[in-house]
Amino acid sequence: MRQTVERETFREKGQSVREGMAAVEAEGLVKTYRSRGGTVEAVRGVDLRVDAGEVFGFLGPNGAGKSTTVKMLTTLLSITHGTARVAGLDVARRPDDVRRSIGVALQEAGLDPRQTGRELLELQGRLFDLTAGQASMRAESLLDLVELTEAADRPIKGYSGGMKRRLDLASALVHEPAVLFLDEPTTGLDPASRITVWDEVRRINERGTTVFLTTQYLEEADQLCDRLAIIDDGRIVREGTPLQLKLELRERLGLDRDATLDDVFLDATGRTRTRVEGEVQEVSA
Amino acid sequence: MTHALVLGRRALREGIRTPEAIVPTLFIPLFFLVVNVGQVARIFPGSSTAFLHGQGYGAFQLPSSMLLAASFGSAALFLVEEIEGGYFDKLRATPVRRSAIVLGRLIAEGVKALVIASLLVLLGLAFGITIASGVLGFVLLILLTAGWAVVYAGFMQVIALKTRSAAATNSAGLIFFPLLFLTPNFVPRDLLTRPMEIAATFNPVTYVMEALRSLILVDLAWETVGLGFLVIVVSAAIMLAISIRVIRNYD
Repeated sequence: MRQTVERETFREKGQSVREGMAAVEAEGLVKTYRSRGGTVEAVRGVDLRVDAGEVFGFLGPNGAGKSTTVKMLTTLLSITHGTARVAGLDVARRPDDVRRSIGVALQEAGLDPRQTGRELLELQGRLFDLTAGQASMRAESLLDLVELTEAADRPIKGYSGGMKRRLDLASALVHEPAVLFLDEPTTGLDPASRITVWDEVRRINERGTTVFLTTQYLEEADQLCDRLAIIDDGRIVREGTPLQLKLELRERLGLDRDATLDDVFLDATGRTRTRVEGEVQEVSA
Repeated sequence: MTHALVLGRRALREGIRTPEAIVPTLFIPLFFLVVNVGQVARIFPGSSTAFLHGQGYGAFQLPSSMLLAASFGSAALFLVEEIEGGYFDKLRATPVRRSAIVLGRLIAEGVKALVIASLLVLLGLAFGITIASGVLGFVLLILLTAGWAVVYAGFMQVIALKTRSAAATNSAGLIFFPLLFLTPNFVPRDLLTRPMEIAATFNPVTYVMEALRSLILVDLAWETVGLGFLVIVVSAAIMLAISIRVIRNYD
């Protein structure tokens, strides 16, 4: 009953998305920056469609344009060219309505280290126009959802990386968004914490929230995503279900084994295993 | 306004939980007050110096220390920390007015300045300074100081939003020293050399300082006090307009 009342409160203010409707749509999305070295084209014409209820994976190597695209879709960056609609709302024209309809957890868990977990969630609720009482109730249920009730009254600066990620995820859910954007939600987490986040994402999606997820972990995309797109050098280079993409690659290359998502990724981005290993070695050095 | 108040309360909590950022705000201005009075008080004895209106030199110097304290706000540095840590983007992704994000921290800075200015004046009273304008003057003194704290914190927030760098924000904060010293800091304006007098006349801090000083030394000189408040209101309006423009165009 409490949840029904809360859900109605949020839905009155935000935009809901129905099954079959596009939760995210982008056409010719371009982002250019001016820097000292000249103009940088971070995103060069991205077309996307994510249906309501999907978990959509957005993959790409470092610097491919994943985070820039997410920031444009979540109103955090201006769009240089093209159009984007989220939850049926034009991102450039109705940014506040878009913000009411989306939840955002960015690459770095954006938390205020001096607040407690409970204070952070209550504040987030107040910023989405909940009353103090509603915000407090919502914080309680979210803390329970992400299993942080015991740590709720401790300052966030003392939380582990996994706890911070879970709290960030909870804060993105305060207003029961129609679309949840997760930018590399498991980067830097240990395997156990990563699996906990995956479980949360599945649970959130089962409750009707569309999830737009960027990740560098192909296993994560394979496990979680209904469909995915691979971006490289600011352009979408593959799009489809994980199975479709793997079958297409096997057929095209005439492989005598099942293709993996790693194979699809390497093929799509023109990278080779040797180069990737080389890059990894360079990083670890 | 609710969002600004909610964010203001959060910024206040942040201040209370970081006492190491607040304590110097009180002690450094007190240090300057003691040093300046110690160096100059014998040159300007209260009994024979007309501009002291019968008080000691400490009463003349107190406004400088109050303005110094009001310019030590930490809002901009907390903001840079928030930008670097990603929480600022989290706030920008909520449907709150951009002005509320700016105003939240300014409200907190204003409240902190009210407390610190009160403490400074009360310390002054304990050491024999009297407020010629009485209880109303005390209230106006505190409000003027808090007003200046809000203006200066707003200016620093603009620098933080534009540069997104703690080092650049810190450096920009040092601009207060020329602003403070190009005022009738040690003697009234009519006793300054001509170039200093011209510089002080163009410096808005001069009018705030003179308003504070008149409340301590002269009683309620409404014209001087009004000018001080006018400077604060105009500066606050300009600063707020710039802040909102910067945060709206923040990319």
